[in-house]
Amino acid sequence: MRIRVLFEFAKILMLSRLRNTRQSFLSNSITNRPILIALIGSIMFAAGVGFGTATVSFLRGAGASPADIGQIVETIFGGIPIFLIGFFFTMGLLWELNASSESESSDSINWLPISPSEYIFASTVSTSYTYSPLVLVTVGYSLPIGILTGNTSAFLVLVVASVVAAFIGSVTVEILRSLLARASTAFNKVGGRLMIILRILGMILILLFAQTLFSGFLIIRIINSVSSANAATVLVPLLWPTLSITSILRSNLLSSAYFLLLSLGFLAVLASAALALRAKFWVATPPSFHFSNTGTISSVSRLRKIGVSVISLALVRREIRSATRRKEVVRLMAIPIILPVMISFPALFSPAPTTSAASGLISPLFLAVPLLFGVGLGTLFLGMTSIGQEGKRLWNLSSLPIEAGTIVTSKILFTSLISTIGLVLGLGLTVFFFQVSIVDTMTFVAVGITLVLAEASLGVAIGSRYPDFSDGPRPRFVTIIGSIIGAFLGVIVMLLMSLPLLILLLARVFLLLPFSLQLSFFLGGMLGLIFARISYSLSIRSVDGILRELPN
Amino acid sequence: MDSPGPAIEAEHLSKFYGQVLGLNDLSLTVSMGEVRGLLGQNGSGKSTLLKSLLGLIHPSSGWVRVLGVDVQKAPMEVRRLVGYVPESPRLYEFLTATEYLDFIADVRGLGYEEKKERITRLIESLDLEGKQGETITGYSQGMKQKVAIMGAILHHPKILLMDEPLNGLDPKSARVVKELIHSLTRDGVTTVFSTHVLEIAEAICDRLTILQNGRVLAEGTAQELREKAGLSNSGLEDVFLKLTGTKGVEDIVEALRR
Repeated sequence: MRIRVLFEFAKILMLSRLRNTRQSFLSNSITNRPILIALIGSIMFAAGVGFGTATVSFLRGAGASPADIGQIVETIFGGIPIFLIGFFFTMGLLWELNASSESESSDSINWLPISPSEYIFASTVSTSYTYSPLVLVTVGYSLPIGILTGNTSAFLVLVVASVVAAFIGSVTVEILRSLLARASTAFNKVGGRLMIILRILGMILILLFAQTLFSGFLIIRIINSVSSANAATVLVPLLWPTLSITSILRSNLLSSAYFLLLSLGFLAVLASAALALRAKFWVATPPSFHFSNTGTISSVSRLRKIGVSVISLALVRREIRSATRRKEVVRLMAIPIILPVMISFPALFSPAPTTSAASGLISPLFLAVPLLFGVGLGTLFLGMTSIGQEGKRLWNLSSLPIEAGTIVTSKILFTSLISTIGLVLGLGLTVFFFQVSIVDTMTFVAVGITLVLAEASLGVAIGSRYPDFSDGPRPRFVTIIGSIIGAFLGVIVMLLMSLPLLILLLARVFLLLPFSLQLSFFLGGMLGLIFARISYSLSIRSVDGILRELPN
Repeated sequence: MDSPGPAIEAEHLSKFYGQVLGLNDLSLTVSMGEVRGLLGQNGSGKSTLLKSLLGLIHPSSGWVRVLGVDVQKAPMEVRRLVGYVPESPRLYEFLTATEYLDFIADVRGLGYEEKKERITRLIESLDLEGKQGETITGYSQGMKQKVAIMGAILHHPKILLMDEPLNGLDPKSARVVKELIHSLTRDGVTTVFSTHVLEIAEAICDRLTILQNGRVLAEGTAQELREKAGLSNSGLEDVFLKLTGTKGVEDIVEALRR
């Protein structure tokens, strides 16, 4: 293995990440320098030291006993390696999932004299260095905690364990990447539609896992399991870095060294596995799906009888087919489904509202508000990316006799269709957990649909005003400025839609006027429809401009 | 003949891409049923001209009429009449060839029976049988080119605009496309296409237009261009190089070898 080639290649891989994520904010001259990451890392390290010192001061000021502090230090120190493994694995995986399907081929590097081992190590170094500021902030945070609580040796073990954990996460992604490439090729050939469904479900599960990981619940549960001397934890290699720390915190130096060595051994095994797999599946085949030998020609749809034009139907059919098969789009489709579930977590796990006289105003339907917020936000993001997704394929639409209005309608329809899945999911959760009445359910559905329409139309309006048609390895579909403006306007629209609710509530409290939740939702829904109509008109104007001047 | 006037008229077309001039006061007339070849070096304006003829880009000045219809005023009408194959076409790669053509047919307003018959026949003619149920992602460049050509002629266009249509095609398919152009011409279809392969241009085209720096440098039949260049017995390549003022080819080759 040539070390110089390895680092040069790692630098190239990292630069491609940097430029894809930061080019719009910083000039090329800055993004050209990998030192930028070290700089960010240093700042975060200093910030970590500050937070760590503050944590110890707070604990002492709050009068925590040494035993309590010891328990907290164990949770923090032990949790860091688990968090880092999960973080590096998830970020690496998400990075993979965001890659455009067209850029999956390894042809661009296959012709270069780079061996699989050089590729694996360069890619691992690149992933680890790109996200190293996180390691530095955690190390910075634990430094004052270690010193001020008399656990300096544990801190030193933590530093080694953190680096090992970061590499374990990065190498695991490499293994998964090779396996997924192989599995995709095999399944796509025979799987067809089943593979597509499995991939969408898999994507949703991965994103949900990432969310759960960052919620902290999972880590605390694992640490509790380790602390309670559960013998089974010894058998889990991913917990070995954590066990090396908890051992030294209990003054068991031998055990700590043992688990640290085991962690390094585990990393070596993973690295060899990654290497073997990469060498075996070095040449990636294009991700082609096989559906039938003859292809399917669509018959006359019944929807035509209710006035849906053939062109609109063709466009929506194309949207669904294309979107469900492109993995960089699948992740976007998952957003409107995941967001409501995540947002409703706190509501679902909080005690159920009481029906006492004092809380007469409170209806389970109130819980729908944050849930609808999640649906709305997801719809907005999906809508914003819908135009940019056309990328360099835009000429197909521009050269065909399709009016801008038809394109906008199909984009809104597609976005709303996907978001409705999230809405139904949210409705299901609400009905299941809070036994809402039929009237409330109908109200929820009605306001939900208007919200979806408003946010989908707004998303398409923003997406067509600020499209990003560049087909890089990590396509964005909407410019950064567009995303910011869109997110801002999206929230404003939702706040305005909930304004009648607020006004009627205030009127009830201060003027003792009768309050109707249904009425406030109805008025909010009407506002939503008005916003949808305005956004629709704006979208048509922008799309018309795009069709008249194909982006160069 | 459907229309008494020319099939395509472009007058004083200019197109700026920022500070860069893509087309420079270019005028062009193509007769009905004619096969016109556009020749020129890279960046001479061939693709920009073809896009302007279809209304895919808005000229900075000048106008275009296709079968008497103003492209800027009625782009939808023009798109109904024209079939277009861009240079290195990016298709909807996650559709199968059949699904892609089905989509085009629906947008073009073909009925179920007609589209089924057309798609089946085109797939058969251009040797895509057995592959049409696979997503385009797995296709070679030549296969993608074939699908783009099928999409362009699916609705029996009156005008066919093609940018380097023979790129990546195998000899048999290239021959099929050449014959197809001849056959469409017999049916009165007007074809304008750009190419770098001068032998093909000479073999297929009624007239040739050589572009340079966004302007028409020379226009005429192959023989007229030879006479203009003063090279009556030379190949079209020599004529092209002389007219475009390309010098020192030997020096460039020598520099590349070193």
